[in-house]
Amino acid sequence: MAQYDFKKITVVPTGNDLIDIVLSRTQRQTPTVIHKGNAISRVRQFYMRKVKFTETNFTDKLSKTIEDFPRVEDIHPFYGDLLHVLYNKDHYKLALGQLNTARNLIKRIREDYVKLLKYGDSLYRCKSLKRAALGRMCTVTKRIGPSLAYLEHVRQHMARLPSINTGAPTILICGCPNVGKSSFLNKITRADVEVQPYAFTTKSLFVGHTDYKYLRYQVIDTPGLLDRPLEDRNIIEMCSVTALVNLHAAILFFLDLSGSCGYSISQQAALFHSIKMMFRNNPVLIVCNKTDLQTLEGLSGEDLKLVMEMKSAALKTIPVSTITDEGVMAVKNAACQRLLDQRSERKMKSKKMPTVLNRFHVAMPKPRDQKERPVCIPQAVLEARAEEAAHEERKTEKDIENENGGAGVYSASLRKHYILADDDWKLDILPEFLDGHNVYDFIDPDILQRVEELEREESAVEEDGGDFEIEDEDFTAEAEKDLQEIRKRKKLLIQKHRIKKSTAESRPTVPRKFDKDRKFTTERMGRQLSSLGIDPSRAIERARSRSVSRKGRKRERSVGGDGSVLSQRPLGEVVPGEGFKDSAQKMKAVTMARNATKKRNKDARRGEADRVIPTLRPKHLFSGKRSIGKTDRR
Amino acid sequence: MRLEFCWFCSSKIYPGHGIQFVRNDAKIFRFCRSKCHKNFKMKRNPRKVKWTKAYRRLHGKDMTKDSTFELERKRNRPERYDRNVMENTLKAIKKIDKIRHDRAADHIAQRWKPKAAKERREARKELEQSISLIKAPLAIQSQEPAITVPKIKVKAPKQQTVEDQLMEE
Repeated sequence: MAQYDFKKITVVPTGNDLIDIVLSRTQRQTPTVIHKGNAISRVRQFYMRKVKFTETNFTDKLSKTIEDFPRVEDIHPFYGDLLHVLYNKDHYKLALGQLNTARNLIKRIREDYVKLLKYGDSLYRCKSLKRAALGRMCTVTKRIGPSLAYLEHVRQHMARLPSINTGAPTILICGCPNVGKSSFLNKITRADVEVQPYAFTTKSLFVGHTDYKYLRYQVIDTPGLLDRPLEDRNIIEMCSVTALVNLHAAILFFLDLSGSCGYSISQQAALFHSIKMMFRNNPVLIVCNKTDLQTLEGLSGEDLKLVMEMKSAALKTIPVSTITDEGVMAVKNAACQRLLDQRSERKMKSKKMPTVLNRFHVAMPKPRDQKERPVCIPQAVLEARAEEAAHEERKTEKDIENENGGAGVYSASLRKHYILADDDWKLDILPEFLDGHNVYDFIDPDILQRVEELEREESAVEEDGGDFEIEDEDFTAEAEKDLQEIRKRKKLLIQKHRIKKSTAESRPTVPRKFDKDRKFTTERMGRQLSSLGIDPSRAIERARSRSVSRKGRKRERSVGGDGSVLSQRPLGEVVPGEGFKDSAQKMKAVTMARNATKKRNKDARRGEADRVIPTLRPKHLFSGKRSIGKTDRR
Repeated sequence: MRLEFCWFCSSKIYPGHGIQFVRNDAKIFRFCRSKCHKNFKMKRNPRKVKWTKAYRRLHGKDMTKDSTFELERKRNRPERYDRNVMENTLKAIKKIDKIRHDRAADHIAQRWKPKAAKERREARKELEQSISLIKAPLAIQSQEPAITVPKIKVKAPKQQTVEDQLMEE
């Protein structure tokens, strides 16, 4: 039997989406340009193509959807029933029918309009016809919008249905709610179904797979059943009923002995008898679950009787506890074995069997003599096995961990198993740094010895006393004083020179011969010479004898005299307009002027005729914005 | 945990400080702070950067060869723990440290020794050459020479301290 794949159904677009898709396709994939001036046949062809193209697209998409969705009659009755239970067969069929009708309508529209277009006489008419055609197709599609939405919904749900192979050997788990069906499924397969204390935790069918004797078995977990007539059942229960009825499987009816599911054994027995007829000839096993809470033997007489009644209808009864794993494997093996047996029986009964059987023959060797030859296991192996069995009570690290709070709380002490010379050292804290050194770099069994050697070395060096130091010739006190004097004088010289150098730009360097500060006097010379230790009298005499006469130097002469060669008047003459009373006053004025300038000139200081900037920082240059340019530099 | 040395300045990197850079050839560069890291990124050679240990050792400013350095060596073999050895090691570290410090200080003091002699020589020369600034040549002839008899300095042997005596025992 085929494995149905409901996931492969293409997405069903909504009505508007479908229209958009098809129309945009038409716009993109057909030529878009046509003119009034073109030949009429071209115009007709152009528009006919569009109509045909749109129709094909619509039909294609609708056909695809119709074909993808499974037909309820054609599939396995289990799926048919399941689809009916979940989606209502009628509604489903109706929706698909609507799609089909729409498809036909669109086809009809296209035929009509293409016929009309053949006789269109102008571009405008053809265009209108095309517009009408496309418009009608779109209206049709809009009308089936709700069906499309419903089908999309169905498709999404179908894709999520568990993939149950109707032909594979199956085990079906059923029973009252909360009896432990899902926990059983979790135990035997890798499925991870939610297990909760409230009823109807499982709301749909769940599939797991398990292996037995190299064959894969499907295990289906169903939602719990309540003891109700069929008409009153809700969708969830109907799912499990469908499964029960339609699938050929080994049925495990779960019974809760303790009644902790909320239903007493009598209620469960009633349920069993009401669904008994659904079992038909499927092998049934009664699984008595929750034996950790209540064992089979501990049941009261009435309950036991009920259980026995159920047993008569079934093959076997097996006590099980899913929490302690007791009996779980037994159930699985029993169910699987039963299914296997059934299969082999069926195979044997089929017509093909003899042909197969005739093909092979198992040869059994004839016994040579009557000697018994049992299995031979060496004694040592038997002893080892016995020992192992006895030793299984060893306490493992895992047990210790579990005792002390579990994985997150307890961390195993790795130091316990250290092999050290002295067991007291196991819990020592090992220092890693000391005074900025790594302790591990210094570890050496004979470190002390070497340190001792070092210390001996050190003390030997000290005793040695270092080198002999030959001190150089030392200075006398006088020489020291002289040295200091020399250094002081040198410093002074340097300072003077620096001053001279630094201010040379800002003032005129008067040549030495003018002696502005009166440095070059004989007194000074005398003082300096005597500080050097020489008698200065002779030098002073000599200097004085060689000095310039009182007549004056060239500069002084030129102040008053030769300048008047150019002017034709005598000096004291009063010129009208100058403002002097008489020549005496003028002479006085001239003398005053001369006196004023004489000193200044001798000192080479700035005078009236020298260049002067009256205002160093005129306001118009140093303030205000400029109409063009920057004012970075002022 | 280990105390590593900065690749650039050779200072100790304590846990929680600095940056480690692993190059594509799997060479690891550890830096104590961003100053060293940035210098490295600028491709500066630590042997040419004055304040690093590499420069100082290369140019003989700091002690390089000494027996105390051999006692501190990175051993890659794990040793079985022995409490006595650990005790001894801890004591030894302190002693070795002290000795190393003393020796390093000696080395630096040794470097300064030639300065005094040099200074004296220069002073003598200066005295000879520049005496004319304060004394006229005529005046000098009557003076005594500035040179005196050389002295020899001998260091007396140190008294053995109590500590050393105990150590010898």
